[in-house]
Amino acid sequence: MDNSIIIRKMNKYYGRKQALFDIDLTIEQGMFGLLGRNGAGKTTLMKTLAALHKKKDGKITVCGVPIEKEREIRAMIGYLPQDFSMYPNMRTDEALDYLGALSGIPKDVRKKRVNSLLRKVNLQEHRRKKVKQLSGGMKRRLGIAQALLHDPKVLIVDEPTAGLDPEERIRFRNLLCEVAEDRIVILSTHIVADIEASCEQVAIMDSGRILWHGTVSQLLANARGHIYSANVEKKFIDQIKREYIVTGILTQNEYTTVRLVSEAEPDLPNTVLTDPDLEDAYMYCLTKGGEE
Amino acid sequence: MLFNKECKKILLSLTFWIYSILVVIMFAENYYSEAKYPISKPAKGGSDYGLMVREDPELIMEGASASLMSDFASNRYVCYPYGFYKAVSLDKEDRDKVEEYVTEITAWDHDEILKQIDSADVYYMEHGFSTFPGYEFESVNIDKNMTYERYKEIMADIDDILGGGSAYKVDTLASRYSLVPMTYEDAVKEYEDSISEDTVTGSLARLFSDYTGIDLAFIPVFAAAALVAADRRRKMTELVYSRNISSLKLTFIRYGALVAMMFIPVFLTMIAAAIQAGEVYGDEPLKMHYMFTTTTFWLLPELMVVTAVGMFLTEFFSAGFAVAAQGAWSFLSLMSCGDKLSGNITKFCLICRHNTLYDRSAFMETYNDFVFNRIFYMVLALVMVLAAAYVYHLKRGGRFNGIRLFGKGSLFRRKA
Repeated sequence: MDNSIIIRKMNKYYGRKQALFDIDLTIEQGMFGLLGRNGAGKTTLMKTLAALHKKKDGKITVCGVPIEKEREIRAMIGYLPQDFSMYPNMRTDEALDYLGALSGIPKDVRKKRVNSLLRKVNLQEHRRKKVKQLSGGMKRRLGIAQALLHDPKVLIVDEPTAGLDPEERIRFRNLLCEVAEDRIVILSTHIVADIEASCEQVAIMDSGRILWHGTVSQLLANARGHIYSANVEKKFIDQIKREYIVTGILTQNEYTTVRLVSEAEPDLPNTVLTDPDLEDAYMYCLTKGGEE
Repeated sequence: MLFNKECKKILLSLTFWIYSILVVIMFAENYYSEAKYPISKPAKGGSDYGLMVREDPELIMEGASASLMSDFASNRYVCYPYGFYKAVSLDKEDRDKVEEYVTEITAWDHDEILKQIDSADVYYMEHGFSTFPGYEFESVNIDKNMTYERYKEIMADIDDILGGGSAYKVDTLASRYSLVPMTYEDAVKEYEDSISEDTVTGSLARLFSDYTGIDLAFIPVFAAAALVAADRRRKMTELVYSRNISSLKLTFIRYGALVAMMFIPVFLTMIAAAIQAGEVYGDEPLKMHYMFTTTTFWLLPELMVVTAVGMFLTEFFSAGFAVAAQGAWSFLSLMSCGDKLSGNITKFCLICRHNTLYDRSAFMETYNDFVFNRIFYMVLALVMVLAAAYVYHLKRGGRFNGIRLFGKGSLFRRKA
């Protein structure tokens, strides 16, 4: 049984405007991170994979099933949209039960699944609460639960941690890692830390194109030798920001430590070559347009 | 069961309760207050038993011809196409055509017609800032060879020339020009028809359906539009789109739930009407099933089609458009089919009217059209649900996003 998503030469248009360009990607079982700034085309790609958008051309297969077979695809995919919301006056367990019914899950199976998923996402004690009474983090966890209701082979989560506090974000990432043990989980985000903490495979998108695709360690290796830190006077900061891609600024007394991306060693005082973190590597990848 | 869940969702929605309250208020205000007075046997020796329609060709030809001469003389024909007032003045070509018909009916040549107009009584009518001459003809000659069948053909042609809704519409000739005073015997027969044929409940059921039918031609669209738009309003569209259920099944389940839930308040008012009938006519042998069978056959197709059209238009356009379109349809239907409050049921009018406890014979005359009408709307309802399901299917796969005429992302805004 094929356990991968294969995308070949896929293009997508909104009217006359092209939104995705020649997407080529293979996604294997486990956590897969899709990283890119806002408007890069991540959500469009996610929706296309969830059979909510129609591609113009190219080929997509999900676990061996062509994307055109919408009903089969929907049966295999769990989707947590970016703007996740539910009927606010429904109880938490009721909302899950309703969505389970829409997925065609028999009543007795649904009952067991709802109970086990509420436990899994730590919402068991809030099951009688109305959806509108849940906090932002709880709602996202409910979102994961609804996406897992029909035990999908693929879970697509679109910007799930935006707006969550650090504790909720960590809890949410851990939850995703747990469910990724036996399925494909695609995490689309513009928050690099989420990818760093949870994904091995990653793709970077920009302007509707896949800029780069590989493992997190490969991405870090690409940036190695191009990330520097320098201690400079505050008054030079603006000039440095104009000349380099600055990924961090730390002010200490009259000096400021700047972290920056550069092909060659910058002509700045106290410059030190530094090990890249994923944020640096991502920025480096964006500046290079994906070239290695 | 998904059907039960959809019913519960509707039950908890504000629009459903507003709909239910409106149905109950309209029932109490209109039917309940009118039906509490029993139908009573006419008293012998009365001076006026009202009027009744009797299709008398001679009477019709006399009355309609006098009216036609009057309108022709002033060249001003008052019409009500789709229920709206319209004064029509004909150009020379059409005027000549009408004159040919006048000649055919009266056997008067051009000069004789002019002579008759000159000798007619003239009065003046004011309309807005204008004054129009009116001509009154006490009697008009009818050609001896004129048959009633040919006369009706001429009237139909003249109605066409005038654009419809004129005083010469064939269906309404009898009710306009052939009203005769009821005799005591006629009044008793009408009463006995209501008592024996209908056992009163048939009459009551028609009156109930007449009033409730007006409500159901419009109000259900609010609940239908609200339910269809609920996913979008709650930002749940993608969540529901991504589920495994087929578009056809989901649309039909939601439609079924809407119709079932919205029929409940109607059914409760039926029960109230039946209880009232039992109290008012306690001594009569009543066929109580009429209060449920006639009313259901009358009202359910209307509820079905209004709900279906509301769902389709909300899917295709928007909730606002659906409400506006249904409002226009129900208004036009009321205007065009409600010009006569009984005995005027046609094959395609959404609202079937019979606003009286009497006149059973008039209803029975149009019974076949009534049955056709209700079956037609039931079938149309199912076709509209299929269309709504197809639009939903297209939207779900990202092949169609619906057409919005106003607001954010609308066609008009895009053009601007």
